Amino acid sequence: MKLYKKEGNIVQILSFPNETVEKGDYLLIEDGDVGKALIVQVIDVQFANIPGILEELLRSLPDGGELIQGEDFDPLEIAPHITYIQDARLLRCKIRATMNNESLSTSSSWLPSRSQSTIRMLPIPTLLKLAKTAGNLPIVLGGTKDSMLLTIDASLLDGRLNIITGKKETGKSHLSKLLMLDLVRYEATVVVFDLNGEYISLGMTSDEKRNAQYNKVHVLTPSQNFKVVLKKLHLHVLLNVLIHAMHLPGTSAREFRTIWRSLKREGKLTLHELGEAIRNCRCNHHVRDALFSRYYALVNSGFFTDNVAEGILLEESLFKAGKEGGAIIINLRNTSPIDRQIVVEYVLGKLVELLTSWKLKAVFLFAEEAHLYLRETYWDDIVTRMRHLGLFTTFVTNQPNTIRENIYRQADNIFLFNFTNEHDLEDVSRAARVDAETVKSIAGDLSPHYCLVLGKVVKDFPMVVKVKALDIKTMGETRLFFKDTN
Amino acid sequence: MLIEQLAITTTPKYSFPQPTIDTSLPQRFIELSIHSLKHAQNQPFQLNQQFFQQNNNLKEQIQTTRTELQPIPLKPRLEETMVAAVDTSSIKIGETTKGMVIAVRGATIWKHRRYYRYLRFGPFIFHVTEENKKEVYSALQRTYLTSPHEHNHHNGSPSLLQMPTRMASLLERWQQTMLSRTVTNGLILFDGSLTSGIGDTPTQRMKEILDNTRKKGNVVLAFSKMTSLRFNGYLITDMLVNYKPPYLFKITGLKPKPPIVLLGDVYVARLTKGNYAFRLDIDKQVSIERKIEALEKLLGNDLFSQSYPETLRLAHILCTFTANEVIAMQHFIARKYDLKIINRPDMHRLLFGPFGKGESHS
Repeated sequence: MKLYKKEGNIVQILSFPNETVEKGDYLLIEDGDVGKALIVQVIDVQFANIPGILEELLRSLPDGGELIQGEDFDPLEIAPHITYIQDARLLRCKIRATMNNESLSTSSSWLPSRSQSTIRMLPIPTLLKLAKTAGNLPIVLGGTKDSMLLTIDASLLDGRLNIITGKKETGKSHLSKLLMLDLVRYEATVVVFDLNGEYISLGMTSDEKRNAQYNKVHVLTPSQNFKVVLKKLHLHVLLNVLIHAMHLPGTSAREFRTIWRSLKREGKLTLHELGEAIRNCRCNHHVRDALFSRYYALVNSGFFTDNVAEGILLEESLFKAGKEGGAIIINLRNTSPIDRQIVVEYVLGKLVELLTSWKLKAVFLFAEEAHLYLRETYWDDIVTRMRHLGLFTTFVTNQPNTIRENIYRQADNIFLFNFTNEHDLEDVSRAARVDAETVKSIAGDLSPHYCLVLGKVVKDFPMVVKVKALDIKTMGETRLFFKDTN
Repeated sequence: MLIEQLAITTTPKYSFPQPTIDTSLPQRFIELSIHSLKHAQNQPFQLNQQFFQQNNNLKEQIQTTRTELQPIPLKPRLEETMVAAVDTSSIKIGETTKGMVIAVRGATIWKHRRYYRYLRFGPFIFHVTEENKKEVYSALQRTYLTSPHEHNHHNGSPSLLQMPTRMASLLERWQQTMLSRTVTNGLILFDGSLTSGIGDTPTQRMKEILDNTRKKGNVVLAFSKMTSLRFNGYLITDMLVNYKPPYLFKITGLKPKPPIVLLGDVYVARLTKGNYAFRLDIDKQVSIERKIEALEKLLGNDLFSQSYPETLRLAHILCTFTANEVIAMQHFIARKYDLKIINRPDMHRLLFGPFGKGESHS
């Protein structure tokens, strides 16, 4: 390999056919005289612009498009040299760091010698060692191209905002499960908004046996084993549900607050009494109607109860997980959009309440297709306020345009699977920790289950990994009409 | 007529060459190539700054032309006839302290039953110096020129600068000889004229080639891409005759200065629509009827683009060196013979900056 050109932070390297280099590989350009080296990553492999190549190709097809038949008497065996030159490749590489005496810096203000520098492949484990990504809480994501394990440290997910994205069936949920299980293994508290019931068997192996984390996985299905006792509910949590999930107007909310406080004072905070209080309320009949419609929606959701024994599971699970680690799966599979919003509002309100009061240390929240249940104001809340309270979110989506730009800008880690559509990649490339060229070039060519890892977990050295297989019972499969006939 | 008869005796591959053919010239080319390159080992090697395809553009020393302005109309004959063509190319690929490294390649093309086939010889790479040029050229001449008289006549070796074209000419004559011995009842297309007597076209050898082709029932048609022959101050190929192509008209009254000999009758051929015409030399010893018949068969058997036969065009295309081949050959000699590539500054560029157009333009 030979250093050919540098423009901005792009280095062009000439590579020959006997040197196997692919997109995503890291190269080390060492300049012995200066004692420094550039670490670059291949973001595109092109044919080198060899003079005369067009003529060469044209003359091989002069016979009406058919290859002309013949024989070459080439006693000096020049032909392999011609092929060697013709197949020369140009590697477009992004400068990632400068190595000086085993220490890395992001500076690229120097230029190695074009004639004297040597270029060699930099194996991922060596790079990880140089980047010092290893810690005490390793999470093995999978294997790299050179069959080495890519390990990140769980502490680099701590306090971070993460995005897992990619088109359908590329392995996003699989990676989420892997991260969840390892976080739980390290005694972290994980809450999952499970839209399609994909995570409910996180504690089971593929042959339906209990795995090591079985006892740490708590599946809460709203209206079934997950209900809320009305009298234990904080008014502001319920008002959030009414205003944001059920769009209760301000005047009606004020009236509701009065009713609630009155009932609480009298110790009559039950569903029945709440209904009666609204019925007997001396207020504008429009306000009463508005309150009634919301009241019946709450009652019909089946999520609220007066029975104290029924409504303790969330807190119990959270406290249990807080002590020994655990995953609380909020199964939203068969929940209507309105009920889903009610549940999410409640859970988030509860988490903030517990975190604010330091009853919980921190929570890793995994939100699948969050745009389907997360209200507008929460997006900003999550990247600003909630992060400081100890709520660390990982968004999982196959529609990158549904995540707001400010989320991308603040994202610390991005786990990017394949996208074919360039617009999707455009959305992802708005992230501050990644350059658009790398995203578009590498992510567009990823095979299923291959993930481009970007951000702090890899110390800003983008790496491609084949996510390792997990022995977990698969859930959330698409129901098929022709399944039995094939 | 031997329309259905295969014109070339078949061999396991591509019907060429026949086992009885003397293949000593390529063998000698290889030996001399390797021998000369071994002498170049470990020398500094200056890449050629301007690649140029060498071709023989010696001005013909022929004067006085007259034309028979009555065109001879041509009608394509579709009788299946073998069409074969030969061309060679040479290029200087770099300089050493003692001389230069050149490459030579030749291509032979056949068109038979709608299909084109080729046989390419080379590239042969030579390290030519003032010291070895005589040895190299004479050795090849000895192998190639069978007639002792001819050999003595051309005892001197060409100048170093002429070596690439001369070496290519030697290979071309050998290829022409091979075709003249192997093709039967076909049409053999040469690149250039049938003018002999100049350094690389010995009259005796050319006569032998033409005799052989005639004996095998072939006709040689030599197309010149460029000519310096003029009539009334105009190039003969620029004279437009208000006549529908294909046609040809004869150029008469040519008086070559000795030792130059014209072995063919000279015509201007306009074979397709458009303003392209070429000088066409056809073996003098062939009757006018056979000449016309040969050209009509060529029209019926080959493709034409801009009045030029496809077989000959392919021969040229396949032997020409492309820039990446030149790089590959430089790579080959640098690797195999340890030539150290140096970058000698272009004095024109150095002295005159943007006004210096490079050494080849001096």
